[in-house]
Amino acid sequence: MIKFGPGNLRIPKFEKPVYVVAGGLTDFRKRYPEKNTSELCTEAMRMAVEENDLKMSPEEVRRSVNWCVYSQFADHFGDQLLAAAKIHDYLGFDPLGNIEVKTGGATGGSSVLAAAQAVASGYATLVPVVGWERMDEVSTKVGNSYIASAACKDFESELGWMYAAYYALMAQRYQYENTVPRETLAKIACKNHEYACYSPYSQNPGKYTIKDVLENDMVSDPLSFLECCVMSTGAAVLFLADEEMAFKMTDQPIRLSAICGGTHTLRTADRRPMPILLLPNETEETYKDYFTHKRHEWPGFSSFLAARMAAYLAYHMAGIKDPVEDLDILETHDAFTISDVQTYEDIGLRPYGRGREFIESGEAYFEGKLPTNLSGGLIGTMHAVGATGIFQLVELLWQLQGKWDKFHADAKRWERYGKKKPADFRSLQVKNARRGCAISHAGTGSHVTCSILEKP
Amino acid sequence: MAIDWNIKPAEVVNEEPLVIKNPKTWSHFHTYGGWGKFFKGLRQEKILATRCTNSSCAEKRLWLPPRCECPDCWHAMEWAEAPQQGKIYTWSTCLYPGELFRLPPGTPLISVELEGVGTKLMSYLKEGEPKIGMPIKAVFNTRNPTNTILDLAWVPA
Repeated sequence: MIKFGPGNLRIPKFEKPVYVVAGGLTDFRKRYPEKNTSELCTEAMRMAVEENDLKMSPEEVRRSVNWCVYSQFADHFGDQLLAAAKIHDYLGFDPLGNIEVKTGGATGGSSVLAAAQAVASGYATLVPVVGWERMDEVSTKVGNSYIASAACKDFESELGWMYAAYYALMAQRYQYENTVPRETLAKIACKNHEYACYSPYSQNPGKYTIKDVLENDMVSDPLSFLECCVMSTGAAVLFLADEEMAFKMTDQPIRLSAICGGTHTLRTADRRPMPILLLPNETEETYKDYFTHKRHEWPGFSSFLAARMAAYLAYHMAGIKDPVEDLDILETHDAFTISDVQTYEDIGLRPYGRGREFIESGEAYFEGKLPTNLSGGLIGTMHAVGATGIFQLVELLWQLQGKWDKFHADAKRWERYGKKKPADFRSLQVKNARRGCAISHAGTGSHVTCSILEKP
Repeated sequence: MAIDWNIKPAEVVNEEPLVIKNPKTWSHFHTYGGWGKFFKGLRQEKILATRCTNSSCAEKRLWLPPRCECPDCWHAMEWAEAPQQGKIYTWSTCLYPGELFRLPPGTPLISVELEGVGTKLMSYLKEGEPKIGMPIKAVFNTRNPTNTILDLAWVPA
């Protein structure tokens, strides 16, 4: 059992406030042979410095950068060790220092955390975080084997060479303990595929019915293809700055009021029961009837301790008392429909065992109480792993700045990616959004970061 | 000095944009280290787990997968046999496994609950239809062992 010592639950703090000032993306594709990885990263960089209404020229931005963070999940995919050095050179940042971060699916979130630590400590004043994944140089089956190399190779990888299967094991157990109707899970897939229809960056948009999802081929029981994330190629860039630099660069900096990380065993097998770590909106009373003969332990296979830990720290750091009340917009790591429901509980949108209500109540939808994955998420828009956690924060930045339309609604932007803006396009700009949250997630919950962005 | 250009050409997969094929054929030598005892144990039809030997450590249960050192106190562990009968904690049948999967697609993957073991080993069901809570017993691939986790499987008990 995990027992916390007095130092283990210390709430992190920044010595100096940290801001997010600009973001850039490529579009995301299953195959992207037209552009190599260096070009993709440069394209995202150019969008960040040229299209975010900065008060500095791209050249002035370059001359103000003093540290860089790079984010790529797997050297296997790019088949290039030290790829960060190649990208750093291509972007013209030599001889500035840089670091490359790797924490699986949460690499994007962890990279932003590393950049935030640099800014918060005074080590740096302006830091670009550059993330990418090039997942199109092998077949999907080999790609799944590469990803399953991020399970335990001694005791797990051989059992499927497929991450969806490891999630499916958790999903079956979650369903045994909580019995979420398949229709509710399908709604998450329908929602995120639909929102991807309004994103020029998206790889897998589509208007599906619940029936379409339920009748879709099973990847690993109970997860169907439409309930699983895409495998993408593309890049994302986010600039972090200290207060002085942030206001010098833009009239609309967004504050990164918290970003915190949690972990749990790489092998789900090794997760031992412990008392539920309570969030600010929960008490012992919340769980007095939780445990039953079927649901006899926590976190078991139904909950992600890493997500609970990250949310616990980030909510305390940002002063969030009740996430559904205090947040206006959310991006989760919707790798699979069921893991999304699990995450709703881990981050306190509903108590454990009641995550389904967050979807069923309509709160998760545009114009709902806490719209979730308006970006289209990993199911609809992208999962170019090293870019994913950065992509989420770029989308949140634009939402909080009120610039969602600028980056999604312009027909020319769709044409840039060889697409036509759909005739039934609708704006997903959340009115008066003040505070957003993003969850970046690895493994079957091996690493999770929770970020809180808010208007200063 | 002069050399001839008789280098084997890379196969052009696509001309515009240019994509070439880099075949990979070498072996990787995987090191089990202290955990090798577990895989050798499977050849003798034993499930070898480990237990912390530190009397002041709170964790008394077996670890399976085994660890040579205790994560709670960093103390050395001792080896002990785990029970060969247990229950299915959860399962899934994966119809689209990754490239390296060596069992038939659709082989039920399971997590196994064993008495006295604090963890829930991932494995597979060799016969029958999986169900949570179903009693199962271990079977071992001893005739032609793979020396991987695939040498352990389970059948209905």
